[in-house]
Amino acid sequence: MKNPLHKRLPRELKSEFGKYAVVFFLMVATIGFVSGFLVADNSMLIAYNESFEKYNIEDGNFRTADRIYRSQREDIEKLGIRLYENYYIEEELDNGNTMRFFKNREEVNKVCLMEGVFPEHTGEIAIDRMYADNNQLSVGDTLTSKDKSWKITGLVALSDYSCLFQNNNDSMFDSVKFGVSVVTADEFDSLNQDKLQYNYSWKYNQEPSDEKEEKEISEDLMEDIGAIVTLETFVPRYTNQAITFTGEDMGGDRAMIIMLLYIIMVIMAFVFGITISNTIRKEAGVIGTLRASGYTRRELVLHYMELPVLVTLAGALIGNILGYTVLKNVCAGMYYGSYSLPTYKTVWNAEAFLLTTIVPVLIMLVVNYSVLRHKLRLSPLKFLRRDLSGKKQKRAIALSPRIKIFSRFRLRVIFQNMSNYVVLFIGIVFANLLLMFGLLLPSVLSHYQLEIQNNMLAKYQYMLQVPVSAISGSKLEELLNLAMFYMDVRTDNDDAEKFSAYSLNTLPGKYKSEEVLLYGVEPDSKYVKADLEDGAYISSAYADKFQIQVGDTITLKEKYEKDEYSFQVDGIYDYTAGLCVFMERDKLNETFDLEDDYYSGYFSDTEITDIRKKYIGSVVDLDALTKISRQLDVSMGSMMGLVNGFAILIYMVLIYLLSKIIIEKNAQSISMVKILGYTNGEISRLYIMSTSIVVVICLLVSLPIERAVMEVLFREMMLASISGWITMWVDPMIYVQMFAAGLLTYVAVALLEFRKIKKVPMDEALKNVE
Amino acid sequence: MFLQIQGIKKSFGSGDSRVNVLKGLDLEIEKGEFCVLLGPSGSGKSTLLNIIGGIDSADEGKLIIDGECLADMSEKKLSVYRRKHLGYIFQMYNLIPNLTVRENIEVGAYLSDQPLDVDELLHILGIYEHQKKLPNQLSGGQQQRCAIGRAIVKNPDILLCDEPTGALDYNTSKEILKLIETVNQKYGNTIVMVTHNDAIKDMADRVVKLRDGMIRKNYINEHKIPAAELDW
Repeated sequence: MKNPLHKRLPRELKSEFGKYAVVFFLMVATIGFVSGFLVADNSMLIAYNESFEKYNIEDGNFRTADRIYRSQREDIEKLGIRLYENYYIEEELDNGNTMRFFKNREEVNKVCLMEGVFPEHTGEIAIDRMYADNNQLSVGDTLTSKDKSWKITGLVALSDYSCLFQNNNDSMFDSVKFGVSVVTADEFDSLNQDKLQYNYSWKYNQEPSDEKEEKEISEDLMEDIGAIVTLETFVPRYTNQAITFTGEDMGGDRAMIIMLLYIIMVIMAFVFGITISNTIRKEAGVIGTLRASGYTRRELVLHYMELPVLVTLAGALIGNILGYTVLKNVCAGMYYGSYSLPTYKTVWNAEAFLLTTIVPVLIMLVVNYSVLRHKLRLSPLKFLRRDLSGKKQKRAIALSPRIKIFSRFRLRVIFQNMSNYVVLFIGIVFANLLLMFGLLLPSVLSHYQLEIQNNMLAKYQYMLQVPVSAISGSKLEELLNLAMFYMDVRTDNDDAEKFSAYSLNTLPGKYKSEEVLLYGVEPDSKYVKADLEDGAYISSAYADKFQIQVGDTITLKEKYEKDEYSFQVDGIYDYTAGLCVFMERDKLNETFDLEDDYYSGYFSDTEITDIRKKYIGSVVDLDALTKISRQLDVSMGSMMGLVNGFAILIYMVLIYLLSKIIIEKNAQSISMVKILGYTNGEISRLYIMSTSIVVVICLLVSLPIERAVMEVLFREMMLASISGWITMWVDPMIYVQMFAAGLLTYVAVALLEFRKIKKVPMDEALKNVE
Repeated sequence: MFLQIQGIKKSFGSGDSRVNVLKGLDLEIEKGEFCVLLGPSGSGKSTLLNIIGGIDSADEGKLIIDGECLADMSEKKLSVYRRKHLGYIFQMYNLIPNLTVRENIEVGAYLSDQPLDVDELLHILGIYEHQKKLPNQLSGGQQQRCAIGRAIVKNPDILLCDEPTGALDYNTSKEILKLIETVNQKYGNTIVMVTHNDAIKDMADRVVKLRDGMIRKNYINEHKIPAAELDW
């Protein structure tokens, strides 16, 4: 015989439809979003990794001042590589952006067509999909420059530009103002050939086995090629940010998203736990009778567990289906919002299934089982007597009779529901954390921009770029090129002040190894005002990120070598735009065996116009420094709306469920006071007001806790997701917004609860009274 | 002897507030006997019933049912004992609100390997036509009939009834008593009923009167009358 108790399940579901529906939808949304994210993340990472082979991505590229002759090419290819022309031309567009034009590639760095068709005629163009998105361009639109226009026939992803870095030295990519595109060969030839850049890609005949070997080979290669042609740039793939940045960045949010899922699951499990306790209290007589009749505790535990577990399982399954179909695209969209990735194929992800389905169901099982085991541990007799409190409250908490009866009543309701309110408080903390996270990022970014603006070292920082030919040719050629270089980078600008720079990496350990720029500045620098003398200062961003204090010793190393350098920190310099070390120029030059008069660039408050542009590696101005915050805004801005919506949803669900439980728990008393003649309004003031008071207190008390937790979370997030550092800053308005959002949400729920109070029948009080 | 109670003692509380509810009871009940436990509130009759039912334990003494001693049983064994041998009827019907009358009875039937026929039982209980109703659509008497059905459908050896008519009016109470009598005659279950209604003793085979935790009277009712003839 089938257990007749099973027949209760559909009826239970029907009678508690609101509660289960809310929990179900929350499960579906959470699990769907997380599984969508994990599937998209994994599928895209696979697509990205496969793209190297699929699109035959180069092993590196270099640029020469002139076209390479056939004999030179043959000499270069004898070095164990194959060369491919990958010329480009950059044009300023009418919208102020820069477009880099390539011929469509057939052999190496092949292009993924994402929408439309490849250009077939002159005047047609296929542009990077993400640049198009960020500039609201679509197939059929026209791009114009000063003297030409192109019809967009397709949106593409260039496999060597998954991240739109214009120059490899740039600190952040720019998918808003910089785009890449392909045109037909004829169209390419019709562009301004004066701007033609002789860029060549290479593939090794025999791939190096690891990055270390790749570095060794590429260093030799640079020298060897430099002996054959004059190099302007030389970028092996492993240093090419346009190719590698995406892979390094992907997967960083995974841990955070999974953590979010589990926190929600645990909270939901506790909500179920409380709901179950409530049901057990309500059904104490029935449970006592069943136990007295011979039903075992295990049978009852299983019976009461069935529905929550089934709802979770259904939520997890439907969430997974949605994750794999609809939400996957939403999450992939977030990646497509940051990176020019090729199209991907959805790959079944067993780990995602485990994490989003098996684990939540297990959490639910364990929490529910524990709560039920605990609750049903009492003897049948206790259930029959409805004496469910393990420990009896010795006596009621004394309340002065001077307190008005309504206030005392409310206080009693609060005392009675303490356990529910504890869960409510945890829920509020969690929901508010999410909300805070959503509200925080935009304000942090704008504050960061402002801060950078206020404490820039100089309005312009010119980083000079020694042509590769000056270090990779015959000795004579090197000397000649170097002399020419130093001649051409001299300036008469009075604001200009020389500095030397050297790049090292932090030691890998607790935090991943990161690049630190060491500045050697003039003793009486007007741009870096610190008493450097013989010591070293570090930027405040560096100090914040690695929690370094004055007096500590920092150790840095060469990126690919074992050489380590230690410096004692004599001070912290208020500079938030990057991880830097400041010391006197002489000291830096000496430390790194550079010549005494060596310098790497200029600080200047006015634009320097008299040095040759080709020797300027990069210009660090406000625009460049704020690129990181601008890009984060573009990449994560859309997600923040989602996070805020989700936070409010969780918040509403929790408050709805918990206040519903409180009202159900008190249904008999509510009914009784109704019989006594209390109006619905008065009853609401007693029961809803109690919860209102608790909500307001919880909201206020939770703020400092959230702030403290957020400090930790923000720090971990920044450590995991960005190079460099952004300091956390909470706009006071955020607290106001959080409080207001919490309160408004509560009011909406309270109105629903008011309706519920009106519905409590008066005969409730007359039932089951012993 | 089917049911043997030997020197059962039970107290609640500790120190000054300790109350000795049962002060050493001895009682024997034959198989198929209808035994009524009478006594005022606090006399210990419900406690004794609960000890017989295995949902409460004695501090001292032995309870032997069909040769098995309850005190030696683990919690798990007690559940099995209740499952196999006992049916319970309470003053509060404790029906499962979202199961129909029939389903509530099936909840009891599930516990037995050889339950009684539910349809037949519904007829005997007089609630066949209400079988598809939910408990809240029934009167108190009908609900108690359903509760009796749930208790006896597994054809228990012992039916324990704790004030089964305590919440019912005179006529309904008599109907319920008649039903319990019918069950006893038809299925031969041993019935132990707790009541403070003195009139009910007249329908019992054995009458046990308790006061202050002691058995004051224990006798076989020589002049048993049918429930229909009871009056109070």
